[in-house]
Amino acid sequence: MRKFFGTSVVAISAAAMLALAGCGSGRDGDSGSGGEAAKGFPANSLIGVALPAKTSENWVLAGDLFTNGLKEAGFQADVQYAGASTTVADQQAQITAMTTKGAKVIVIGATDAAQLSTQVAAAHAAGVKVIAYDRLITNTPDLDYYVAFDNFKVGQLQGQALLDGMKAKKPNGPYNIELFSGSPDDNNAGVFFNGAMSVLKPEIDKGNVVVASKQTDVKQTAIQGWKAEGAQARMDQLLTSTYGNKELDGVLSPNDTLARAILTSVKGAGKPTPVVTGQDSEVESVKSIVAGEQYMTINKDTRNLVKETINMVKALQAGNTPQVNDTKSYNNGSKVVDTYLLPPVAVTKANAAEAYANDPKLAPLTK
Amino acid sequence: MSRLKDLQKNLFGGTTSNARQFGMIFTLVAIVVLFQILTDGLTLRSDNLIALFQQNSYILILAIGMLMVIVAGHIDLSVGSVAAFAGILVAKSMADWSLPWPVAILFGLAIGAIIGAWQGFWVAYIGVPAFIVTLAGMLLFRGGNQYIGNANTIPVPEGFREIGSGFLPEFGPNTGYNNATLLLGLAAAVAVVWREIQARKTRRAMDADPAPMWISILRMAIMVGVIAFAALRFASGRVGTSFPISGIILLVLVIAYSFYTRNTAGGRHIYAVGGNSRAAELSGVKLKRVNFFVMMNMSVLAALAGMIFVARSAASGPQDGNGWELDAIAAVFIGGAAVSGGIGTISGSIVGGLVMAVLNNGLQLMGVGTDRVQIIKGLVLLLAVAIDVYNKSQGRFSIIGSLMRPFRREDSAPPASPPDAEREPAKAAVSG
Repeated sequence: MRKFFGTSVVAISAAAMLALAGCGSGRDGDSGSGGEAAKGFPANSLIGVALPAKTSENWVLAGDLFTNGLKEAGFQADVQYAGASTTVADQQAQITAMTTKGAKVIVIGATDAAQLSTQVAAAHAAGVKVIAYDRLITNTPDLDYYVAFDNFKVGQLQGQALLDGMKAKKPNGPYNIELFSGSPDDNNAGVFFNGAMSVLKPEIDKGNVVVASKQTDVKQTAIQGWKAEGAQARMDQLLTSTYGNKELDGVLSPNDTLARAILTSVKGAGKPTPVVTGQDSEVESVKSIVAGEQYMTINKDTRNLVKETINMVKALQAGNTPQVNDTKSYNNGSKVVDTYLLPPVAVTKANAAEAYANDPKLAPLTK
Repeated sequence: MSRLKDLQKNLFGGTTSNARQFGMIFTLVAIVVLFQILTDGLTLRSDNLIALFQQNSYILILAIGMLMVIVAGHIDLSVGSVAAFAGILVAKSMADWSLPWPVAILFGLAIGAIIGAWQGFWVAYIGVPAFIVTLAGMLLFRGGNQYIGNANTIPVPEGFREIGSGFLPEFGPNTGYNNATLLLGLAAAVAVVWREIQARKTRRAMDADPAPMWISILRMAIMVGVIAFAALRFASGRVGTSFPISGIILLVLVIAYSFYTRNTAGGRHIYAVGGNSRAAELSGVKLKRVNFFVMMNMSVLAALAGMIFVARSAASGPQDGNGWELDAIAAVFIGGAAVSGGIGTISGSIVGGLVMAVLNNGLQLMGVGTDRVQIIKGLVLLLAVAIDVYNKSQGRFSIIGSLMRPFRREDSAPPASPPDAEREPAKAAVSG
């Protein structure tokens, strides 16, 4: 028995020593701790880009632009999309993996704006700069920058276009409209909706515009996950419940995917096409606008947004402070985030050719 | 007996088993080594190991419950929805009723128990197949989550976040490592050695041949080496990070449930019910009670998993729990459980879950997109089970069969391989 213990002790301590040797020396100490961007970082560093699931063309395009743009600028790009079903968990894991791989900047198009604070904090603690792309990440003091289109303006343009479109079809009201808004977990959805309502509310109060279903609360109008089938189902129900013998004049739709779903539903019910708004300039919707079905969309040229984001990364690389143009409006619940806002453009059949002149994919569609 | 044969027969798990039964562990080690090379050493770096455990603890916790459900011959499709439902209620309870977070955790577990009792009632006492009951539950509680949360994302307070994103505390002298994690590792190493010595004592007391001395020592050395390696890795993360709290919760559950399923009458009843429910009932197993218990237990663990995820995400959101049931079920089957019930182990399921987790993590570190990761994971699941089923049908080595070996009554004579091979197909016939 004594021999047993003797040999055990020797063997076990040998194993432990081996493990210790394999581990190298202790912890890396207080690494980075999110210090200043004082000196920048090497020009060939890894830049992580975490985007939501590929539910709209926009994200696929953004991913391609990031991959190519970052490579052209000399960086290593790691562009990842969340999976279709387990979006939030995927994105959390991806951001963590990027931090582990030593990314210097992580650009995040959040799938759920409020569920990333732990990962953003870990990235920040490791000295990574975090840029929120298109969607503001909320409840974290560790977010560095936000790049987006002016989303309140987007909503205003949609609201105004809806009114203009209906007036062009039928000079006098009252007009019957229905309201749709985006996914409630997307911070932007509310901003679009509020922007649109800032234009529509005065008309509704005057009685000039009527929401016939009376569903005006953002919770009633929201479409979970920006899913087309959700919008189509809701429109089907609205047509059955409210528009048996009424005319539907217009629908406020927050984006193109939902707009087309709404139009599909209206067509299926055999009703005349209402004025439907959109956003994102998706190919199918531009075709639809040119064909006179969908009334308008918003051109938020993803190229410009990605370009602006890459400019920020370049500035950080050189050790400079990136350019921002709004340091007051975007409070994420923990801090006011330095923001660069790009202006959106409303596009209808009338100005489509002009608006997409520089877009290789969309320009041919408008001819 | 030659030394090599000794080694093969005795290295892991006492004298009645051999190294082959750890096929899954070797697969796991192979995958870890593969990714360690492919990712230039990122896989085993301390921050990645810590992240790996934090990211997957909730799925592994689900896998524990799912194993017991599947062994009993059922399935639970509702775990993701139950987790989301419990998560949103707990988040709401803290935000709206300002429950202190420890109370909120108890509240969440109670919700899990109530949901579990509901589902267990339909399965055990009415006899509705668990597939249907939990399919209904999946819709019911997903809807409940959206109804209560209005599909909003609700943040949770700092204290609560600890169970998902917290670490063992820093204390004591500056050793260059996290002292708490080192102590945990030391405790685990002592436990391993103590268990080995106890096992040898027991065998000697029972006049059975203990494994040769040098094998015991080698086995301990390997285990202690692994523990020391893991402890040092976890202890050497960035200051403020160490072994995650969610990992501790997982460890405690794994140990407790392994003991329960392996060494208690209640646990063995689950296997009996899954193997042949009629025979089990005739031998006096309270069928309804067992079925009720496994379904209820699953929902309690689902609620716990939901809370851990919410804590890690710092908020409860409408997408929580989507697809979790599939991850948990995949882990259990990769870990060697039989679709027909009656076969499977907790440790196998944990290893199965870790195989998926390491695969996921490694592919992500290599920058492979989620689309391809899903394809690869799907193929791995299919292959892992297919190889096992094929081997079993050929009467050859089967992970499923061999994982069951520790549960067979030990023969007094040292077992040779031929009877083993003969008994395998017979076993399959019973459980199939």
